[in-house]
Amino acid sequence: MLGKITITCFAASYLVALLLELSRLLFRSGIRGAVMLGFAAAGFVAHTMFLGYRWFTEREWLNSEFDWYLLAAWVLAAVYLYLVAYHRQNPIGLFILPVVLMLVLVAQFWASRTPFPKTSGLNGYVAAAHGTFQLLGTVAAAIGFMSGAMYLIQAWRLKHKKIAPKQGLRLPTLEWLQRTTSKAISTSGVMLIGGFLSGALLSRIKYGEVRWSDPVVWSSSVLAAWMVTAGAFNLFYKPARQGRKVAYLTLATFVMVALTLAAMLMDPHHGGKQANPDEESEQPQAVQAGGAA
Amino acid sequence: MKLQLVGCSHHASAVSVRERLAFTPQQVEEALAQLRVRFPQTEVVLLSTCNRVELYTATEDATLAPSHHDVAEFMATYHGLQLFDVFDDLFERTGEDAVLHLFTVAAGLDSMVLGEPQILSQVKQAYDLACERNSAGPLTHSVFQAAIRTAKRVTRETEISRKRVSIPSVAVADLACQFFERFDDKRVLVIGAGEMGQETLRYLADVGVRDVVVVNRNLERAQRLAAEWNGRPAPWDRLLDELAEADLVVSTTGADRPIVTLDDYRRVEDARYQRPLFILDLAIPRDFDPAIEEHGLNVYLYSIDDLQQACESNRKEREKELPKAIKIVEEEAAAFMADLNRRATGPIIHRLKQGMQQPKEDELRRLFNKLPELTDRERAEIERSFDRLINKLLHPPLESLRDESQNGSPHALLDALKRLFQLKD
Repeated sequence: MLGKITITCFAASYLVALLLELSRLLFRSGIRGAVMLGFAAAGFVAHTMFLGYRWFTEREWLNSEFDWYLLAAWVLAAVYLYLVAYHRQNPIGLFILPVVLMLVLVAQFWASRTPFPKTSGLNGYVAAAHGTFQLLGTVAAAIGFMSGAMYLIQAWRLKHKKIAPKQGLRLPTLEWLQRTTSKAISTSGVMLIGGFLSGALLSRIKYGEVRWSDPVVWSSSVLAAWMVTAGAFNLFYKPARQGRKVAYLTLATFVMVALTLAAMLMDPHHGGKQANPDEESEQPQAVQAGGAA
Repeated sequence: MKLQLVGCSHHASAVSVRERLAFTPQQVEEALAQLRVRFPQTEVVLLSTCNRVELYTATEDATLAPSHHDVAEFMATYHGLQLFDVFDDLFERTGEDAVLHLFTVAAGLDSMVLGEPQILSQVKQAYDLACERNSAGPLTHSVFQAAIRTAKRVTRETEISRKRVSIPSVAVADLACQFFERFDDKRVLVIGAGEMGQETLRYLADVGVRDVVVVNRNLERAQRLAAEWNGRPAPWDRLLDELAEADLVVSTTGADRPIVTLDDYRRVEDARYQRPLFILDLAIPRDFDPAIEEHGLNVYLYSIDDLQQACESNRKEREKELPKAIKIVEEEAAAFMADLNRRATGPIIHRLKQGMQQPKEDELRRLFNKLPELTDRERAEIERSFDRLINKLLHPPLESLRDESQNGSPHALLDALKRLFQLKD
């Protein structure tokens, strides 16, 4: 039965939850919150079962790019459910669910399903650490994008004396948004630098050197350099830690992360689709069903 | 049964009249005791707020009820006034009008600030005091409890009380709460000792503000105000230093020119490292140079005009809800009156039915004496036939009575029934 759960199941649930979030801008409703939470939770349960089934059948953690993107979407969906439980009045889903859906879409249409090369011993641990760091860094950057974007909207609105929105975009307080944005950028910084270092170490173990010509290596090193610069900027220039500057910094970080992920998707050596045109036939039945849908 | 109200309100009476007729809580207790002595058969509730003084009276027997003149005279005499000085200000409502008025007042629809919620607690206090002093009775219990229920329904089903309309409440609840997640770790800087500033502080204290610094040209006044709010006074020359440390500023000085210029703020901004600052400039003329707002990205400067606009917009929102609220009040008043009228007919119906029982029993006794051969079953059947006959005879008048009570108190019909069937009280 678990094998029959497809990507379409949870992607459709997240999409309905997003449409319900959008409807907040148009009209008020007493039951919308519960229905929205219901759809998001149903999607999350289906998503969990889908990943659980894959882990159970393949016995590998972050086995392919496909798994990596779906797991990133799953963590972000979990964060969404947690936030929406505490901020029911705020349309957090408007900012976070598109990223969840985008990750699911990338997994479905662009990410390679070819398993990463088998590694064991130290190599295996470093590879798992690399994947986990990158995943958590990406999720933190996505949360930073959400809170940073909301901060800028809320700051603009308060600056322009739009005091009490009658309906729709009721955002969290500036203080909460700033705190969340700061935490998100610090977390994503630490994780992405960790991802870069573990990636460089992995490259060195595999090839005896860090291949700087590899698009993945240079793009993630650019990202790590960006994070180091942002961290130094934060450390030595106090105004960067508060207000709009931290929001802009977070948005820029998210764009950098997105560009790095795009570079990785295009790289055939990193498990991109070009590397293995026959891969569809190697996927479990359930995934193929999802793909067909 | 008579329910009456005599009083004055902000609609027709000037504040000079209202303040002469107002009762302090202690005076209300005294007045209730005096009224109980003067009108022992009358239930009394006295509502006295800054916008209205209303005396509600109720009696089972309308002939024993105090008149408009009696109540007005009592109020004038109590306050040592001449009746003719205040009589024209004291309006009267009776019966359904009095019920409708009380429901409207309790729901905040008759208040100076439409939908303000304090009036409901004042109505509750007036009723509770009357209960404590034993001056309330069955009729006032039911009408005041219904009024409180109606007010709660209006609050629940409309948005008339939700939008805030005073500048300090909008400043704190609608605005400051969009900036700050919590207030117990925020520093509030109060500049000047204006009334609006103090009122805003009251709202800020309600949301948890604990760290207050007061800066005033007159240090003594700053010390007094700071002591009132467990805050810290600071001399005027520390103004810019305190601005650098504050999270929220409430400014209400009487200065005739800005006390913080753009150059001053530039220095403050450097010291704050661009940490966002929320300023409520409630002074007229303004205390902060408006150029500060255009210059600083992380400064949110609100003048009294900005807040006034929000209040006005909220007031309009409340007015939009008024028809819905009035409909609820009218529905509840009509339901209350129908129930009251139905209850008024109860004793007459009871007496009417009792009046039929005696002749029925006499006739049955006479019949059973004449027909001793009847079995118990036959006797029971005959008894049931008599009951059915009585019910059929009483059905048309009782039906008419019920119909009449739907449209108001059926006094005429009740009198007619009393006379026709010789029903005695």
